Amino acid sequence: MTDTQWPRYEVFEQVSEDQPHQNTNSIHAPDGEMALMNARDVFVRRPYCVSMWVVPADKIFSKTAQELADPDWATNSEIESVSTSTEPYYVFQKLKHRGSQTYIGIVEAQSPIEALQHALAVYSEGNPLAWWVFPARFVTKSEPDDIESMFDPSLDKTFRDQSEYHTIAMMYEIKKRARQAEDSE
Amino acid sequence: MKANLKEALAHKLLAMADDELVVGHRNSEWTGHAPILEEDIAFANIALDEIGHAKIWYQLLADLVGENPETYPDRLVFHREAAEYRNIQMVELPIGNWAFTIVRQYLLDTAELVRLGELVQSQYQPMAEASAKIRKEEIYHYRHTHAWLQRLGLGTDESHRRMQNALNQLWPYTTQLFEPLPDEALLVEAGFVPDPHQLRLAWEKLVLSNLKEANLATPEDTTPIKVQRDQHTPHLESLLAKMQEVARLDSQATW
Repeated sequence: MTDTQWPRYEVFEQVSEDQPHQNTNSIHAPDGEMALMNARDVFVRRPYCVSMWVVPADKIFSKTAQELADPDWATNSEIESVSTSTEPYYVFQKLKHRGSQTYIGIVEAQSPIEALQHALAVYSEGNPLAWWVFPARFVTKSEPDDIESMFDPSLDKTFRDQSEYHTIAMMYEIKKRARQAEDSE
Repeated sequence: MKANLKEALAHKLLAMADDELVVGHRNSEWTGHAPILEEDIAFANIALDEIGHAKIWYQLLADLVGENPETYPDRLVFHREAAEYRNIQMVELPIGNWAFTIVRQYLLDTAELVRLGELVQSQYQPMAEASAKIRKEEIYHYRHTHAWLQRLGLGTDESHRRMQNALNQLWPYTTQLFEPLPDEALLVEAGFVPDPHQLRLAWEKLVLSNLKEANLATPEDTTPIKVQRDQHTPHLESLLAKMQEVARLDSQATW
């Protein structure tokens, strides 16, 4: 049977301009633009963000600190195609067990392995537990102009507010009265 | 405000609200049935947005005619007969297949986008403010349905065929999109709403270029549906029967 599932994209959200992008979710989509919209609709209708990035999961080169402890990690890694010129790679790292992959910076490299080697040299402070690197060209991003239509409308939706759900309040009230009636018997 | 201008504005607000409400309700029928989970959520969001827009217009109408903006929308939505609704026929048609739904929503989103782009400058201040708010969401709706239009139009033979069929069915109904209300000229003159003829031209320009990029073409030799907004297909009655069922069981119930 052929797999009809769309490719998986990893989703990164930036909750405010002074915070880095963080990996929050993953989503299936046929392409980057649809992935960005699907992620917006599924994940940030209620929680707010100011910027969103998506990248195909299979473009992410990933290594844990344990894997990197092997001195031969680079030669043992599956050989990626090496391009003749360098290109920018995004570097993400996970610093705490309960944390998520968080954007730390950009490096120029000819391959994911080289990108990670550069990242290790520059961004190792805090002893990250795991690393993600991927070429910037595979990332689909929301633009600053998109904030108004993609993210702002969620801010004044009353369905964000639990007090809008009258049925829940009503059920509490009914249960409370039932208990009081029982107690007085 | 002069009585006849006020009356014309009330007609316009009701027409705009009814269009949003009815298509919002139609779209909500996809909840749980859309082609994929992500789209199910996205399309339910769009349905909710449209119903929210309807509520804004109904509330503006309530303010205008001195009714309570909290209760008047429910009264209009749940306690009017089909003949009292002022929506265009396109929005009341059954959801059909996914292509039909996408093409309809795309045609409406573009119409909204073009109209709201002008309405933000309405001389009737509440309308200008509401339009600015609604327009933000419509920009996103357009992005969403335009993306689907392109992908299905340029997708497989089957997706293309379904989209072209949907367009052929829907195109005659687009005449009603910008058909002025009998007293709309008063509103245009007062600077409350833009000239519908100009809107139609701007809309066609946008839509025809999008359709071309999606390898779709407007049908030739169609008979435009030219009816007033008090004329409905039988589909509206069945939609209302379902939508109003619970509210009409006990019209005094409070929620």
